[in-house]
Amino acid sequence: MSDTGVTVTGMGLVTSVGIGAAAVMGAMCEGRSGLRRPPGDHPLAGSLQVAGFGPPIDPDSVLPATETVVVDRYIVMALRAAGDALADAGLVIGRDVDPFRVAVIVSGTGGLATLEAQVIIRITRGRPSVSPYLLPGMLPNMGAARIAIKYGIRGYSSSIGTACAAGAQSVGEATRLLRGNDADVVVCGCSEAPLFPTLVDTFGNARALARGWADDPTAASRPFDRRRNGLVLGEGAGIFVLERTAHADARGAAGYADVAGWGATNDAHHPTMPDPNGEAAAECMRRALAVAGIAAADVGYLNAHGTATKLGDVAEALAVRKAFGTAGPPVSATKAVTGHMLGASGVVEAAVTVLALRGGLLPPTHNLDDPDPACELDHIRKAPRRARITHAMSNSFGFGGHNVSVVFGHPSTRLTRTV
Amino acid sequence: MTTKDEIRDFLLTSLRAMRYDTSGIDDDTALGPTGANLESLAVAELSVRVEDHFGVTFEDEEAEQLAAMTISELSATVAARVQPASTPGR
Repeated sequence: MSDTGVTVTGMGLVTSVGIGAAAVMGAMCEGRSGLRRPPGDHPLAGSLQVAGFGPPIDPDSVLPATETVVVDRYIVMALRAAGDALADAGLVIGRDVDPFRVAVIVSGTGGLATLEAQVIIRITRGRPSVSPYLLPGMLPNMGAARIAIKYGIRGYSSSIGTACAAGAQSVGEATRLLRGNDADVVVCGCSEAPLFPTLVDTFGNARALARGWADDPTAASRPFDRRRNGLVLGEGAGIFVLERTAHADARGAAGYADVAGWGATNDAHHPTMPDPNGEAAAECMRRALAVAGIAAADVGYLNAHGTATKLGDVAEALAVRKAFGTAGPPVSATKAVTGHMLGASGVVEAAVTVLALRGGLLPPTHNLDDPDPACELDHIRKAPRRARITHAMSNSFGFGGHNVSVVFGHPSTRLTRTV
Repeated sequence: MTTKDEIRDFLLTSLRAMRYDTSGIDDDTALGPTGANLESLAVAELSVRVEDHFGVTFEDEEAEQLAAMTISELSATVAARVQPASTPGR
C-alpha cells in the first residue's frame, strides 16, 4: 500500500440544516432548506431578509465557564465540530497518536462579530470598557488554537485566510502535510459566524445578497437557476479528521474516503469578482485531477461552489465545461439549502461530496426550477440520482480569486465506514 | 459616597459575571495563584471593569501588584482613589 494515502476518518459539521454530514445530505436530498427570516427583534432584521442560522450551542458545552465571557460564536462552533469529528474518528490524542504527530489547520475570517461589539462598547463607553479577553475571543487563529488546547494537539498548527476557499484549502494543506509524513493526523476545516450587522450590511451594500424573498425565504438561494439574484449568508463549521492511511490501518480505524488529490490556483483578476473566462478555475480542477491521477471522465459527481450570484455561477459553469468538456459530471450545489457559510462551506460541501461518493446517491440542487442556459451543466434537479461512482470533486472559490478543488476516492483503509 | 463594602460587592459581582465561583472567596482571599487563582487576563478584565465602573485608573506597572492583593486590599485601594483621603486641618 502506498505510504502517501490520506483518508478521512472523522467528520463534524454545524449548519443551518442541522448537525452532522447526514443532516446536510438529507436536507439536500429531501429539499429541506435551513434558510429563514430573522425574527423581528433580531439585530439583523433591518439588514437582511433571509439567512442560514445555525443551531444554538451553549458555549459552556465546549469551553470552561471562565473562558466564555468574551468568545465568538465561530470558536464555539469550531470546538463543537472538532469534538464531533474526533469522536466520529474514535481518536483520542495521546492514547492513539503522539500529540506532536497531530496537526491542526482550522480557518475562518475570525470573530469579527465580537470585534464589532467591542468597538461599539469602546466608542460608547471609552477605553476602560474594552475587554482584555477580546483577542483570544476573536482572532482568526483562535479556532485552531482552542482546538489544540482542548485536545492536546502539539504538532504543526495554522489558520488559513483565503475567504470562501479557506475551508477546502485547509483540507488540501492537511493532505500536503500528511503526504509529506509531517503528521499522522490533521484536524482540519473551517468555522464562520458572519451573521452580524456590519458584515451583512457590506454584503448588502455591495448588492451581493439575494433580495425579494422575504415571503419565501427557503426559495432565496437558487444556484444556477434563472431567477437567482444573489447569495444568502449562513453560519456554520466543518471539521475533518484526516489521517495517513497507514496510521488509520494501524489503529483499526475505518475510513470514509481518501483525499485523492487537490488543486489550487488564483484568478489574478479582481478582488471580489470571478474571472468570467473561468480559465484559472478550470486549471484548478485539472490540477486536482492530475494529482489524483485520474481522467476527467472518472469524476462521477461535482459539488459546485454555486453561490447563486449572477456572475459567479456563469463563470463556474464555464470553468467546469472547460475542465471536463461537454460531457461533464453531474453537478449540484449545497448552498441552496445551507446558504453561503464562507470558508466553512468548503468543508461542509466536501462532506456532502464524500457521502455522495460512498452512498452512491447524488443530491439535487434545491430551488433549481429553471436552469439558466448560461450555466449549462448536467444539473441534478428535483430528486437525487443513484450512481455508483469512483471519484467525486468539490469546488470552492473565494474572494480574492482563490480557487480550490478537492477530489475524493473510495477509502483505501482496510476497514471502511458505511454511509 | 463609595464605600469599601460597595467596591467589594462590585468585585464579587464582577467575578460571578466572569463565570468564577465566588463561594470560597472572602475578604482575605488573594486574586492570584495563592487565592482565587485568577489568571493574568482575568485580573486584567476585573481591573478594567473596576476602572470603567468607578472611574479610577490603574497604571500598567500596578498590574502585577493587583494579582497579589486580597479582595479587601483591592477594595481599599479603589476606595482611596474614588475618594482621595482628606487630611483634617491642623
